[in-house]
Amino acid sequence: MQHTPSPPPVRRHFRQTRDRLATALITAGGIGVIAAVMAIGVFLAVEVVPLFWSSSDAPRINLETLWLPQAYEGHEVPVHRWQPAMPEGGGEPRFGMLPLVWGTLEAAIWALVIAVPLALGAAAHSALFMSRRLRARLKPTLELMEAMPGVVIGFVAGLVLAPWLDDHLALGLTLLVMLPSGLLLAGGLWARLGARWRRPLPMGWAALWLLPWLLVCWFLSSWLSPVLEAWWFGGDLRAWLEVSLGLDYANRNAIIVGMAMGFAVMPSIYALAEDALSGVPKSLVEGAEALGATRWQSLWKVVLPAAGPGVLSAVMIGAGRAVGETMIVLMASGNTALMTASPLDGLRSMAASIAIELPEAVPGGTHYRLLLLAALLLFVFTFCVNTLAEVVRSRLRRRYRRMEGLG
Amino acid sequence: MMTWRRPSRRAARSEGPWAWLAAGSVATSLALLALLLGLLAVRGLGHFWPAEVSLVALDDGRQLAGWAVKESPLPGGDGRERLYRTGNRDLDGAIWDWVDLDEIREVSHPSDLVVLERRRWSEFIGRLEAVETESGERISGESAWPALERRLTALEQHRASIERLRHQVIRPLVLRLEAGEASELERERLSAAQEQVREQQAALPKDILILETVDGRQLRQPLTEVTDALQPNAMGVGEKVVAWSQGVWRFLSEGPRAANTAGGVWPAIFGTVLMVVLMSIFVTPFGVLAAVYLNEVAHQGRLTHWVRIGVRNLAGVPSIVYGVFGLGVFVYGIGGHLDDWFFSSSLPSPTFGTGGLLWASLTLALLTLPVVIVATEEGLARIPESQREGALALGATRFEMLTRIVLPMAMPAMLTGVILAVARAAGEVAPLMLVGVAKLAPQVPVDGEFPFLHLDRKFMHLGYHIFDAAFHGGDVQAAMPLIYATALLLVLVILVLNLTAIFLRHHLRSRHGTLSK
Repeated sequence: MQHTPSPPPVRRHFRQTRDRLATALITAGGIGVIAAVMAIGVFLAVEVVPLFWSSSDAPRINLETLWLPQAYEGHEVPVHRWQPAMPEGGGEPRFGMLPLVWGTLEAAIWALVIAVPLALGAAAHSALFMSRRLRARLKPTLELMEAMPGVVIGFVAGLVLAPWLDDHLALGLTLLVMLPSGLLLAGGLWARLGARWRRPLPMGWAALWLLPWLLVCWFLSSWLSPVLEAWWFGGDLRAWLEVSLGLDYANRNAIIVGMAMGFAVMPSIYALAEDALSGVPKSLVEGAEALGATRWQSLWKVVLPAAGPGVLSAVMIGAGRAVGETMIVLMASGNTALMTASPLDGLRSMAASIAIELPEAVPGGTHYRLLLLAALLLFVFTFCVNTLAEVVRSRLRRRYRRMEGLG
Repeated sequence: MMTWRRPSRRAARSEGPWAWLAAGSVATSLALLALLLGLLAVRGLGHFWPAEVSLVALDDGRQLAGWAVKESPLPGGDGRERLYRTGNRDLDGAIWDWVDLDEIREVSHPSDLVVLERRRWSEFIGRLEAVETESGERISGESAWPALERRLTALEQHRASIERLRHQVIRPLVLRLEAGEASELERERLSAAQEQVREQQAALPKDILILETVDGRQLRQPLTEVTDALQPNAMGVGEKVVAWSQGVWRFLSEGPRAANTAGGVWPAIFGTVLMVVLMSIFVTPFGVLAAVYLNEVAHQGRLTHWVRIGVRNLAGVPSIVYGVFGLGVFVYGIGGHLDDWFFSSSLPSPTFGTGGLLWASLTLALLTLPVVIVATEEGLARIPESQREGALALGATRFEMLTRIVLPMAMPAMLTGVILAVARAAGEVAPLMLVGVAKLAPQVPVDGEFPFLHLDRKFMHLGYHIFDAAFHGGDVQAAMPLIYATALLLVLVILVLNLTAIFLRHHLRSRHGTLSK
C-alpha cells in the first residue's frame, strides 16, 4: 500500500459508503421487484381461498358443485352448466367450471394439432436441410410472426377466415388432402429430375421454390373441390355432415380457433425445437452420414433421439401459450360454454370468460372469486408447464455439452 | 451450433417423403404469414383508394350505383349474387344491396357519378343536378361541379377558423371560469368570442345541393353536412393518389365517427403511445434493477437459479392473469384506498378506483418486466469477466464498476429488452379490457388542464378499437375496411419495433463477438 499514492481517507470512506449503500439499494430493489412479480400467484391464491371457507350464505360452492354435474331446476338429468348471470327470475346462477376447462383444453388441443406438425416439420427442415443463408433470414421472419398481436389474428380468424370457411367448406377439406399430397408429388418429381434441372432447385431453398407449387396446388384444389363434393358428399358437404354424422357446423368453431391459435403458437414451438435440433453436436450427424444414412435417416435415428426432450419442452411451452391466449379465442370461438366433443361446435375458454365477465362481476362476490380461481388455474398450469420445460431444456444443454466432450 | 454445407447431390438422392413434408411446412408457414400481411395491406390501404363507382342496370329496369364488395353463391340455387355498397342510408334505409348476377344487364362507369362523404347517413352516391346558393341562384349543368368544389374549399376554411377560435380562445377561458378565477375582462372576452363563433356559424354558406340518385329520386342536401366530394370515375391516377393520401392522413389524424365504424383512429393512436411510454418509464428502471441484482449482486447459488427460472417463466404466464392481478390489486385494492383517502369528496363515483391510464400502464409494466429482466441479464452475462476484474483491479468500487463499465456495455441489451417489451405491450389487449381501456374516451388523457396528464382517465387503444369495432359495432360489414386499416397500423408499429430489436441484438452480438476475442 505504501508504494501507491492512496486517495485521501475521507474520499475513500465516502466511496465505500456509497458503494455499500448502492449495493443495499440494488439488493432491496431487486428483491422487491422480483417479489412483486411473484406476488401474482400469492394474490390469486389468497383471493380464492374464501370461496371454500367463507361462512356467508351466498350460493354454496364446494368442489362438488364446481366439477360434478348438478341437478339444476329445469333439467331432468344432472348437467354441467356455466351460467353465472341468470336472467331476472331465472333461478340461481350456475357455476359448473368444467365447460370452461373443457373449452380451454379443446382450443389448446386443436391449436397444437395444427401447430405441432407445422412447427416440427419446419424445425427439422431448417435445422438439417435449409441453406445457411436462408435460415439466417427465416428465423427473424418467424420471430415477427410470433410478435403478431392476438387481436389481429383473432379478427382475421373471426371475421375473414370463419365466413370464408363457411362458404368454402369443401375447398378447405380438399386443401387439407391436396397440399400434403402435392408436396409428396413434388418430392417424387424432383427425385426423377435430371441433375441439370435439380441444380436451380436445390433442397436447401425448397422452402421458397415450393411456394409457387403450393399456389398451383391451391388452384387445382379449388377446381377439384366442387367435383369431389358432388361425388362423395352429394353436392353439399354441410348437409352431408348433418345427416350422416349428426354434426352441426357452427360459424365460429373449435377448428377456426385451432387454426388461428395454431398460427400464433407455431413460431414459438418452432424457435425452441429448432434450437434443440440444431444444438445436437455436429459429429453425431456426420458419423451417421459417413455410415451411409441419408440426412432424413440421421435426423430420425440420431438427432431426434438426442434432441427429443428439447422438442418436447418446445411443445409444452406452445401448450402453455395456447391455454392462456385470450383474444384469439374470444374473437374466433363464438364463446358458447358447450361441452361437446365435436370440433365444429363453439366453445368458451377460461381466459375469454375472465375477459368478458370480470369487469362486470362484483368484487368479492362468488362469481368474481370463481373467475379468479380460473385465473389461478391458468397461472398454475402455465407456470408448472414452463418450469418443467425449462428444467428439461437445461438438462438437455448439459447433455449436449457432455456429448461434445465425448466426440 | 451446426453449420451445414449445401446438401450435395448425393445426399439429396432419396430423402423420402417426410423431408418434403418438412420443407412444405416451412413453405406453408411462410405462405400463411404472407397471406395475412398481404390481406391486411391490400384491404387496409385499398380502402382509401377512390375506387370506380359502377352503375348497374338490372333486367327489371332498376338502376343502382355503388362498389362491388363480395360475391357468394345464391342460397339454395344455382348462380351467384353480388353485394354492392350503395350508400344513401337516408333514402334506402340501408347501405347494402344484394344483386343476382343473372339479373344484371349492364355495368358501366359513367364519369358524372359523384360520391359525397357526409357527417351523417353515410355517403351519398348519385349525380349532382345543381347547386342552389343562398340567394336562390341555381347553378346547374357543367358548372355545378366546379361550383361545388369551390364552395367546399371555402367551407373548409370557415370550419377551420371556427375550430381555431373554439380551441385557442374559448376553451382556456371556460376552464378559468369554471375554476372561478376569471376576471371581468376575461368574461367579456369569452362572450365576445362566443358571439364571434355564432356569427361565423351563421355565416357558413347555406348552399343546398340538389342531388339525384341513379334511380331518379331527388335529395336536397345542405352543404354544411358534406365533408368531402369526389367524382371517382372522372379522376386520373394522379388525382386518385392525392385523394388516397388525404384519406390516409384523415384516418390517422381524426377521431372516430358513427360508433367507431367510420372516421379515424387518432385518439386510439394517442392512447396506445401514451400508455406504452408510461409503461416503459415504469418498466425500464425496475427491470434493469432486478437484472443487475440477479446477475451482479446476488450470490449465484441454487436459489438464484430457481428465481431466474421463475422470472423467465413469468414471461409465459397468460396476459389475462396479469390483467386480473391489475384489477384486483391496483384498481380495487390500491385505487379503492386512494379514493377513500384523497378523493372521498367525489365518491361514490370512483377516481382511481376504476380502470385508468395509470393502472393499465402499471399492469403492462408488470407483464413486460420479465422480458426486460431476461434481455438485460443476457446482455450482462455477455460482458467478459475480464472487464469487471480489470475495473476492480484498478481500484474501482463495485458500484463504480457497475455504473461506469458494466451498465454502459449492457446498454444495447437493455434497449433491446425495452423495445421488445414495448412491442409486446402495444399488441396486448386482454389485460387492458380489465384495467382501463375504453370503447370511446370522451377526453384524451392529456390536455391543458392541470395536472395536464390525467392518469385516472380511461383511454382508447388501437387493439381494443379493432376488437370493439369488429364485435360490438352494429354494421360490421361497413366497419371492415377501417378495422383492416387499424389492424395494419398496429401490425406495422409492432413489426417496426421488433425489427429494431432484432437489428440491435444482431449489432450487439457482433460487437461482443469482437470484444471477447
